[in-house]
Amino acid sequence: MKKLWIPFVLILLIAGDLFLGSVNLSFPDIISALTGYDSTDYVYKIIWNFRIPKMITALLAGMSLAVCGAQMQTLFRNPLADPYVLGISSGAGLGVAFFVMGSSWLGLGNGPSWLTNLGTAAFAWMGALAVMLIIVAASKRLKSNMTLLILGIMIGSAGSALIGLIQYFSEAAALKTYVLWTMGSFGNVTGNRLAVMAVLCLTGLGISFINIKDLNVLIMGEEYAKSLGIQVSRVRNRIFLATTLLAGSVTAFCGPIGFIGIAVPHIARMLFNNANHRVLIPGSAILGACMMILADIISQMPGSQSVLPVNTVAALMGIPVIIYVIFKNRAVKL
Amino acid sequence: MTPCLDIYALSIGYSKKQILFEDITLQLLCGKITGILGPNGIGKSTLLKTIAGLLPPLKGSVIPQGLPHDRDLCAFVPAQPWRAANFSVEDTVSTGRYRYTNWLGLENPLGKQIIAGVLEKTGIAHLAGRNSADLSDGEFHRVAIARALVQDTPLILLDEPTAFLDIANKQATVLLLKKLAVEENKGILFSTHDLSLAMQHCDLFWIMTPDKKMFFGTPAEMNRQKIIDRLY
Repeated sequence: MKKLWIPFVLILLIAGDLFLGSVNLSFPDIISALTGYDSTDYVYKIIWNFRIPKMITALLAGMSLAVCGAQMQTLFRNPLADPYVLGISSGAGLGVAFFVMGSSWLGLGNGPSWLTNLGTAAFAWMGALAVMLIIVAASKRLKSNMTLLILGIMIGSAGSALIGLIQYFSEAAALKTYVLWTMGSFGNVTGNRLAVMAVLCLTGLGISFINIKDLNVLIMGEEYAKSLGIQVSRVRNRIFLATTLLAGSVTAFCGPIGFIGIAVPHIARMLFNNANHRVLIPGSAILGACMMILADIISQMPGSQSVLPVNTVAALMGIPVIIYVIFKNRAVKL
Repeated sequence: MTPCLDIYALSIGYSKKQILFEDITLQLLCGKITGILGPNGIGKSTLLKTIAGLLPPLKGSVIPQGLPHDRDLCAFVPAQPWRAANFSVEDTVSTGRYRYTNWLGLENPLGKQIIAGVLEKTGIAHLAGRNSADLSDGEFHRVAIARALVQDTPLILLDEPTAFLDIANKQATVLLLKKLAVEENKGILFSTHDLSLAMQHCDLFWIMTPDKKMFFGTPAEMNRQKIIDRLY
């Protein structure tokens, strides 16, 4: 791997994410806030209570979604697979819809905001987990990964339909809360919630690294894996576990963020010219972090007061990349 | 003549309702190259996959002979092995050593030596660093055989190894298999529709006739007993 410039890009982007934002802070102020406590109080607060947690959240989310996408693409041998292909995102969305709109029905809509935040994350996670448990149960009966892929897409559509139904019957305020969640945001993940997200994502990333050896065999076909004496269903469940930890946690805390998971593994394959997962998984992680932090910088629209939804920015960044990959290689190869 | 494997009263197929072939009792020999002949759909691939453990036997059993318990019985080479794009030949072959590599799939120096040796033996050493997606069918088939070879099993099963190859590559592949049988005492079992090639190179035949009977013997015997004629 002779792509040493990539970590430098990441460091630059991390710095950029700390230095640029809606509020213009001077360079020396930021440096002193980072190094000590002798800067003005508000600079210190913006940096340590807002920008650094937001940067770490973006970093974790980018790594998680990209690594998750790479595993899904290999498992299903499908270049269009992404972290949400098994219906994880709509499971999470359904959980959030139940929570947000259910609590407004029960008259709990005006509870403290930490309760709303925590409830949103918890229900999103439970929704994702529920979908994953259905998939794992089904995977015992369904032998082929392609059949599972179709099942995942079906569950996803069913989830979206149910969400539509709940939306139709819900009040305006609850609807707004829900729609805001779907747009994605890194700004709400601080303190304890960041710690929880970090533990879940890092566990998921750890399991993904353990999966590398099996992924290298699975890309050559399930039959080959079986002939090497690998218990394919166990490996598959381990991959699902990692996926749910990664995509489920990011979705729970930041909302459904699309396109990073599908686009980044393709960029990694193109850039490193090596689909060996020993290169692809860490490569996707670092490029995912770069992409996500860049999306965060853009979404903050430095110097202006407005903030764009992260989900939209990520999609607008991801789509051209996919189109470029397709045109450059004439085909997306796995 | 040591046996690698005893097959006893084996019934094969994809489900109990759809048994393809019943009551197969046979022995497979080490150091010999055995060809399975039979019409399409008779169950040649199913038999190979059942022996390889990819399909469960519907009845009867496949019993390895003289196999250390920490080793696999056989490696399986499918008719059209799946390629992974942007995967070097060396890395592809290395996945065959799944049992022996560390948790990340990295090779120790001995493993690297084994792989280099197998690439040499299968005549693809010059392709080691190439992207497997860029190889021809004949070249990639050799990669698949190399990948089976590094699994270090007493038995190698191949499903129609010559089906998608041109004449020169067919000859080369079968000669390679023959060399492995003679020099490394491997049992080689493959299915084929290429009768003349099989007559020329196989030590033994397993013939599955359309009336669902199994015959075995040397090609000359099979010819003398007019069993080969039953295929047509």
